[in-house]
Amino acid sequence: MVVTGRSVVLALLAVGAVLVSGQISPQVTAAALAVVAALLVLDVLLAASPRAMRLTREGDTSVRLGESAALSLVLHNPTRRTLRGRVRDAWPPSAHVEPRSAPAHVAGGERRRFGVTLAPTRRGDARAAGVTVRTIGPLGLAGRQRTLSAPWTVRVLPPFHSRRHLPGKLSRLRELEGQHTAMVRGQGSEFDSLRDYVRGDDVRSIDWRATARNDGVVVRTWRPERDRRILIVLDTGRTSAGRVGDTPRLDHSMDASLLLAALAGRAGDRVDFLAYDRRVRAQVRSGGKGSQIQQLVSAMAPLEAALVESDPAGMAGTVMAQGRSRKLVVLMTDLNAAALEESLLPRLPALTSQHLLLVASVRDPAVDAMAEERGTPEALYRAASAERTLAERRRVTSELRRMGAEVVDAGPEHIAPALADAYINLKAQGRL
Amino acid sequence: MSTPETGWRRVWRAGRIPGAVLIVLVVVAVLASLGDDQFPQGHMEPGSVDPEGGRALVETMREDRDVHVVRSAGDAEEALGEAGGDAVLTVFLDHRMEPGEVRTLADLEVDTVLVQPTLQTLGEFAPGVDMSGRTESDETLDAACDLPAAEAAGPADVAGEVYDAAPGQASTECYAAAAGSAVIQVEHGAATTTVVGTDHFMTNTELPDEGNAALAMNLMAAEDVVWLRPEPHVPEDSATLAELLPQGLRWAAVPLAAALVLLALWRGRRLGALVPESLPVVVRASETTEGRAGLYRSRRARDRAAAALRTGFLDRVSGKLGLRPDDPPETVVSALAARLGEDPAHVGALLYPDHPDPYAGGDEALNRLAEELDERSRRLR
Repeated sequence: MVVTGRSVVLALLAVGAVLVSGQISPQVTAAALAVVAALLVLDVLLAASPRAMRLTREGDTSVRLGESAALSLVLHNPTRRTLRGRVRDAWPPSAHVEPRSAPAHVAGGERRRFGVTLAPTRRGDARAAGVTVRTIGPLGLAGRQRTLSAPWTVRVLPPFHSRRHLPGKLSRLRELEGQHTAMVRGQGSEFDSLRDYVRGDDVRSIDWRATARNDGVVVRTWRPERDRRILIVLDTGRTSAGRVGDTPRLDHSMDASLLLAALAGRAGDRVDFLAYDRRVRAQVRSGGKGSQIQQLVSAMAPLEAALVESDPAGMAGTVMAQGRSRKLVVLMTDLNAAALEESLLPRLPALTSQHLLLVASVRDPAVDAMAEERGTPEALYRAASAERTLAERRRVTSELRRMGAEVVDAGPEHIAPALADAYINLKAQGRL
Repeated sequence: MSTPETGWRRVWRAGRIPGAVLIVLVVVAVLASLGDDQFPQGHMEPGSVDPEGGRALVETMREDRDVHVVRSAGDAEEALGEAGGDAVLTVFLDHRMEPGEVRTLADLEVDTVLVQPTLQTLGEFAPGVDMSGRTESDETLDAACDLPAAEAAGPADVAGEVYDAAPGQASTECYAAAAGSAVIQVEHGAATTTVVGTDHFMTNTELPDEGNAALAMNLMAAEDVVWLRPEPHVPEDSATLAELLPQGLRWAAVPLAAALVLLALWRGRRLGALVPESLPVVVRASETTEGRAGLYRSRRARDRAAAALRTGFLDRVSGKLGLRPDDPPETVVSALAARLGEDPAHVGALLYPDHPDPYAGGDEALNRLAEELDERSRRLR
């Protein structure tokens, strides 16, 4: 049951009537209250039943963070009464739904479409909480209200800001493959084709046997290996929850992973994905060639950092269980001395003997800035503390490198291109 | 959507702690109020333990005589009627009585003690006696008279209003001051009327001093003492504000309340429930580093801070000097000194200090260390 402002006005009219009634005011009071109550009850009874309304939805099911999704809600009024009132489509606050509620006027037996726009500010699944229908009676005094279920989920995907780096990295990749217009000899170790010698080609790549059979000098071209497997492992443990700049470390890692996956997809490699802390949070296995980006993005969307200590041993076990074929394992985590030295480093030899491991970590510029602080004693202690953190980071880095792992350590702005460069370099060196 | 059970459970969860606090408060308040005798308050109030109360005097008198505390002239009359022959009426705050009541009491012709009476009362009980002036209230006066009550008591703090009898009127005047006497006794028909200019000497505070207690006891020497301390008159038959309002206005409160309830319902009714959102825990990634800085500062861990600054410096410059991380200190110091053109001993003292570390001696020293390291970093850049 709901009442409107009009019912308050009605009650105030009753107050006026009693005020001027004089000697018969008790009777007038009783009569006025009875009239007000009767009108309210009558209006409630005459209002269209909100429970009878039928709701259907259509529209976007996924949206990239920072963009907006358009949905529509169709309200069908199967009753014979006209629905007057308001409709509110409730979503979690971070979905920023617009409009928050809309006036509704649907005649009996008709249906009406309500447009709703979502501009989510948080990654993950936004779920509709329900549609509240308020119907007001013909007198406009009172009515009924009911929250109906109309489930819908919009998956808010990671924004993939590092997309802008993709053209530049792809052109570097084409250079590698010998397809570049500048005719730089393709590097790599996989035999591609024979072609005529052009001035500037490396004489070491001349295929003498083929030259003997031909009129001109023929060179072999090489191309990078294709169909290599890459496994991106995202650490979703507590260290990923830390905010670097305005964004959690996890989101920076996702961004870099997406650029790497996009690049590797174009280069013809297969990308698998694993999110792990103490158990598998998400997993994507490449079915075949082609872009995995959509699957990856959709698997990443609902991931949140869990406040648990990651279990690198279990992570290494899961990686090893994914097959014995050699692959590039890209581990996105934090170079946290305490966390890595105890559990990951002892497991590292087993992993690196079979796979190529690349550890990528987002470096916090706030710590670098802290190390530069001078002046007050407090600033010095902060600088010393930051130096200690950085020293531990360097120690872990050198330890990882000594054990044969590649390490990419860059700030939030540079982690994605740096990881892409590391991948391209590995490919150029034929180490995949 | 929550079922009624979980709804009630939620109310119980939310309300149990405030409810428990409320119950504890009520229990404590009840326990604290038990055994807490409420003493009445007021000037010469017979039950009052305040400095200016009269409890001390009343309790003392109750040891050998009956004290009837009455609150109105009518009650006093009744008490005097029941008391029998040997009774004395003591009147305090007589201005609270109406003239008719004073006259009725005066006509009873019983022994009366008037304490600081109004002129009107004085005229009814002791015609001819008049107030002649005031004396300083902290003055102690000598009895110096034939009144046995005063003579036995001796000097007392009776300074206040003083009285004088008309010429030719038989009176006993005691405690003489410059303008008159503080205690005066006159015949009043078959009885006597004693007028006292102050009640100061009868209060709880003053009673033990001088002859105050004795004087008070002697003035009220009788089998029954009727202690009249009238309550102020409450005018009867006066209409309250509510009764004066027109009937329509009073009844209008009912629909007005209904309107307010409707207003609250109109504004308060939400269009559907609030939608909760599970927020992820977000902390700054540098939180642990900042925490450690706070620890260093609170424990004044200058040695650790100095070591961290040196390690940072060495890590930065060792790459530029072509040093390996596991090079011994001597190699590092000699390479650095050669590059900077400095005394190796000085560089050694800066980077690998003796114990105790001179740079960890205070915040100043630590600051100097940082400056020296920074300066060398710049030169090596």
